[in-house]
Amino acid sequence: MAAAAPPSLSFPRPVFAKLSPHPYLLRTLAPQVSPDTPTPKPSRTNGRAPHEARPVYIHTSSLSHAHGSALVRVGDTTVICGVRGEILPVTSIPQYRPRADFGEDDDEETRRAGRGELKDYDLLVPNIELATGCAPQFLPGVPPSTLAQTISTRVYSLLHSCAVVDAKNLRIWASPVVTKPTGCDDDADKMEEDDEEEEEKPELVAYWVLYVDILVVSFDGNPFDAAWMAVLAALRDTKLPVVTWDSDRGVAFCSRNAEKRKLQIKGLPVACTAAVFLEKEHGSETSGEENNRHWILLDPDRSEETLCGETITMVVDCEGGETRLRSLEKQGGTVIGRELIRGFAGVAEKRWREVKGAMSK
Amino acid sequence: MAASTEPEAALSVLPRADGSATYAHAGYTVMGSVNGPIEASRRDEHPYEAHVDVIVRPAAGVGGTRERHLESILQSSLSQLILVKNFPRQLIQIVLQIEATPENDYVNTKLVQASLNFPVVPALLQTAILALLSAAVPMRETAASTVVAVVPQGAKRLLVDPVPRDLEAAHSVHVLAFTSQDELLLAESEGDFTVKEWDEVYEAAKEICCRPRTLDEENDVGPDLRHFLRTTLEEKVAEDLYWK
Repeated sequence: MAAAAPPSLSFPRPVFAKLSPHPYLLRTLAPQVSPDTPTPKPSRTNGRAPHEARPVYIHTSSLSHAHGSALVRVGDTTVICGVRGEILPVTSIPQYRPRADFGEDDDEETRRAGRGELKDYDLLVPNIELATGCAPQFLPGVPPSTLAQTISTRVYSLLHSCAVVDAKNLRIWASPVVTKPTGCDDDADKMEEDDEEEEEKPELVAYWVLYVDILVVSFDGNPFDAAWMAVLAALRDTKLPVVTWDSDRGVAFCSRNAEKRKLQIKGLPVACTAAVFLEKEHGSETSGEENNRHWILLDPDRSEETLCGETITMVVDCEGGETRLRSLEKQGGTVIGRELIRGFAGVAEKRWREVKGAMSK
Repeated sequence: MAASTEPEAALSVLPRADGSATYAHAGYTVMGSVNGPIEASRRDEHPYEAHVDVIVRPAAGVGGTRERHLESILQSSLSQLILVKNFPRQLIQIVLQIEATPENDYVNTKLVQASLNFPVVPALLQTAILALLSAAVPMRETAASTVVAVVPQGAKRLLVDPVPRDLEAAHSVHVLAFTSQDELLLAESEGDFTVKEWDEVYEAAKEICCRPRTLDEENDVGPDLRHFLRTTLEEKVAEDLYWK
């Protein structure tokens, strides 16, 4: 005891980061000028520049029992998504309204009607599980947390508003002569349930319901971007088997060796999230807020998320050459105004190119 | 066309709550109550600031994932407005009950819907702010919020306070909220739009939420929400001080 070294008055970096995370991040973002670093480079505690996102790794078809799956790794955030299709016969849909015509032409009206079908019959069912022990704040075996429910709502809204899946691909047709699982004739009329021999037109008998299950394996901030990327990659990977309709028994079946068809996915919307870090915590003092500096941290990690209040998520799609915004969510603060949102579109475009590169690998 | 009816509100309608308000606009009626600052449960206790707890109850059925999402949006926005640092270890509880939603026979209305319901957000936010003012909770600033839809055709491409039928046809729907210092507090959009379109929406929404007080009746785009908030409170104060 007596021989112990005199107590040191300085802490190593990890201890400082743990004890007072806010000043620690502030100091790395606004480093002081010293003789050996005349022009210090601002960086975050994780070594990234403020506008630098983590690289993305995507691996598809790793789950053997799902129709489509993807594992997405963004830094230490790892998300796995599996898409499983189940057949829903129209006879078991409550309040099923047969439609007179399914327009083959790809106009606006047809697409909107298809979107209504997806929504009315709940053909896309996303669910996210955070309570996997992926981070200390999520305890396993408890009901879904607010974050899990929020992300699941956001994924559901985005799936429908972006219309990545066309209802056309999920319809299952039956005709007495030949089975046409996905295609349909121009004048495809909905017929009655009788199996007359002279009946020629195909009949809509069932739908595919896609269960999109998202599992966060490891959580290190920015769960929505990773989850959405996993959903998109898994849907792009999805192959549904060709269904045969047995009109005698009134059941749909697909054999193990049946031919599989790839699901058509429209567009490539990519989410890009950033958080705002303030020099002074908001509301600590009412005066002098005009010189409160801020940094916009792209793709925040877990420790940064706890220090930032305001977040922005922009979903962009540059597939058609022109940048289209598919969703914008900004909440929790007043720093991001009109100019910053305009500028953020450019950042999101850059992220889109990065993710597209990772998807096509 | 947009329902350009004026919003209606009443303050302190519930006798037992610290503050309460009802607000009706564009087919939505919301009642809100505020209790606080009260003791926080140990789980929610924050050593430096008050915890703002928002509970949204739908018009029918029990709340689901959509209500949790609405609650998280409102919670992060209202924490910015309330001076939470003044009440460490306390709780401010805001309960918002949706009483009426616009009916439409053409739109399929399911009881449980998971997607975010945009037009209800301004009504909820406005009610919460009125109830907070009624409860005299110290706030940094107030806020006003509106919904704008971009519809494909017609004379007016921007539609303020769209009805459900318009929402189905809309290319994109936007919710924006501005603080009383003209800062953008909340922006939620979905659909298919460009930055330029969003700019137009921003202009229109800002006109409604923070118009300077001019009596310019010609280019009336919608209700003047800041003025509305002020007159509602003025009326209430005048009524309360009538005995003097």
